[in-house]
Amino acid sequence: MRSFVRWVRCAAGIAALGLLVVPCGCGQKSEPATLTVWQTYNDEESPVFKEIVAKFEEAHPGVTIRVERVPFNGAEPKIQTALTTRTEPDIARVDVSFLAKLASKNALLDLEPYVPAEFRDEIMPVALQSCIYNARLWGLPDQTNGLCLFYNKEMFRAAGLDPERPPATWDEVVEYGKRLTDARRGVFGIGLSNSLWWSLPFFYSYGATFLSEDGQHCLLNSQEAVDAFQLKVDLYRRHQIEGGAWRSGGILHDQGFQSGKYAMILNGPWAVESLKKTGIDFGVGLVPAGPAGSRTNVGGNNLVAFASTKSPKLASEFLMFVASEEMQRMWATRLGQIPVNVKAADAITAEEHPYLAVFVQQMKTAVARPQTPYYPEIENLMNPEMQAALDGTKTVKAALDAAVAEIDKLLAGER
Amino acid sequence: MQYRTQARIRKVVLYAALTAAAVVVLFPFFWMVVTAFKEPGKEFTADVLPNPPTLENFRRVLTEYGFGRYFLNSVVVATVSAVFATLFAAFAGYVFAKKQFFMKEKLFAFLLGSLMIPGLMYVVPQFAVVNRLGWMNTYQAMIVPHLANVFGLFLMRQYMTTVPTELLEAARIDGAGEWQQFRRVMVPLSVPILATLFLLTFQFHWNNFLWQLIVVNVERLYTVPVGLALFKSAHEELYTLKMAGSCISVLPIAALFFFAQRYFIEGMTMGALKG
Repeated sequence: MRSFVRWVRCAAGIAALGLLVVPCGCGQKSEPATLTVWQTYNDEESPVFKEIVAKFEEAHPGVTIRVERVPFNGAEPKIQTALTTRTEPDIARVDVSFLAKLASKNALLDLEPYVPAEFRDEIMPVALQSCIYNARLWGLPDQTNGLCLFYNKEMFRAAGLDPERPPATWDEVVEYGKRLTDARRGVFGIGLSNSLWWSLPFFYSYGATFLSEDGQHCLLNSQEAVDAFQLKVDLYRRHQIEGGAWRSGGILHDQGFQSGKYAMILNGPWAVESLKKTGIDFGVGLVPAGPAGSRTNVGGNNLVAFASTKSPKLASEFLMFVASEEMQRMWATRLGQIPVNVKAADAITAEEHPYLAVFVQQMKTAVARPQTPYYPEIENLMNPEMQAALDGTKTVKAALDAAVAEIDKLLAGER
Repeated sequence: MQYRTQARIRKVVLYAALTAAAVVVLFPFFWMVVTAFKEPGKEFTADVLPNPPTLENFRRVLTEYGFGRYFLNSVVVATVSAVFATLFAAFAGYVFAKKQFFMKEKLFAFLLGSLMIPGLMYVVPQFAVVNRLGWMNTYQAMIVPHLANVFGLFLMRQYMTTVPTELLEAARIDGAGEWQQFRRVMVPLSVPILATLFLLTFQFHWNNFLWQLIVVNVERLYTVPVGLALFKSAHEELYTLKMAGSCISVLPIAALFFFAQRYFIEGMTMGALKG
């Protein structure tokens, strides 16, 4: 009997402890004036972002922004786990394709009521479009990029080409490439990766469309798309000026460019700084034009607020602050990145930022990527078929038809 | 004579194959080390060896990036986890190997069955529990959820079953209590398997990325794998720094294996043979 009493007392004690502990656990609710931000910037960007945060806090007395740095590759699993237990932050920086996924699961704050139309007009249209899903606004871009043609001036000179005149059209690429290629030494005119993302400049410069308006059909087997990809195949098979950078085990395009194996590659603004460090004499030109002109695709990152935030108005103000003209001007000039705010684009002069100015110009003819939560899956269906066309086991038409058939099934929810 | 040539040929072929395998296995390590001594941007240039070699990456990783802190966090998390996981597994393994109790075999089968559940399935529920306990951003969040280790229990039980019960009985006749039987007889005889389990759990926690990524939001508490991931951003990867960090991160594991490999291999085979 005695021991039973002791038992009960003990159990009561444990229960009491539990009561004490549980409220502590739930007590992490942020006050209305605190925002938590999960950011994935790199070492150069993080301090500039901190400055932006400090300026925002200065302009909003009483508001605290808690910035937490998350590895870029870890952000997706971390956010997904946090969402299952409702411990997500107020704001996070996410990749363009992840935004659609989050929006389709109703995890994000709908920014339609908070971001006025005048402000949207300030944002680079292709970048803003990457935040729109189902005709509503779910985030604001904090960073945008596209591809341009990088070329090795030294190799141009050695081949008797004008180092200040990169090829303007794909026909010129073939012509230049033949003079730059020396297959015996393993040197090629151009090196090209083969994922869908890296092939989009081909498709777009031939005028092909990625998805139908309603997002239900993939259109990458149209005549334009077939012609575009035929060109990519021809560069390797017929003209033999492409170094096989797309093959498994091949020299990747950026590595081959660094080691002087490829005279031209497509790459984004992020490559400029590291290439400068290697001491290679290189130039940047617009994507070679096809029948539809010089077109790049768009990548980048967006800031989103989560539906669960206690301060939706403040959160959306923060997103607008980051994308504002003044902050973007600072961001672009300090980091050499393309500003997402068009009013800030004039800060990038050709004298001060010779490479970046080309990218800013290229973005004017960029083609936005259609928003679909299935983008990663589409890549996975498309890439092996494109590979088959490149290594000659399938014709371009057959490969693209096969990929599109599977993608359409995916979009119709049959996969 | 003919036999000797044949044996020699066989040996040459064997060693050639082993050398080839060793090259394949060791090449990534070689690349890691040479890259760590290269200047940024020169990772993929034609020079295989660093030219000129530089210690700058190590200096930056340790000073600018707070890698020392990540290293310390990893040491704390991996050591504490490995010590307690091994201890608990030894207790449980002993009981399952040498004691009789109600439903013992069924309970053991049930626990073994749980090994079939992929580890990733536990992530979300464990995360929810840790969050409810208010343990986010703490060391215990990284350590406690992995202390009960069924695989370790299995390893211990299999090994301890092979220790003759007579030894324990003899100790009991000599007046040893329960604790003394465990401490003075079972533990000294189980050193190989204890060392093996310690190594395996240490290595698991040292390498664990996902769990430590999701339960900690502050850089102060990041461990080495999470810290290494910070070297990759949206479009670029700082290979030289990452490899310098990786070089530092393999040191403890390499040292542990070097000193404990004798036990380690013995423990693995013994556990496997006497099933």
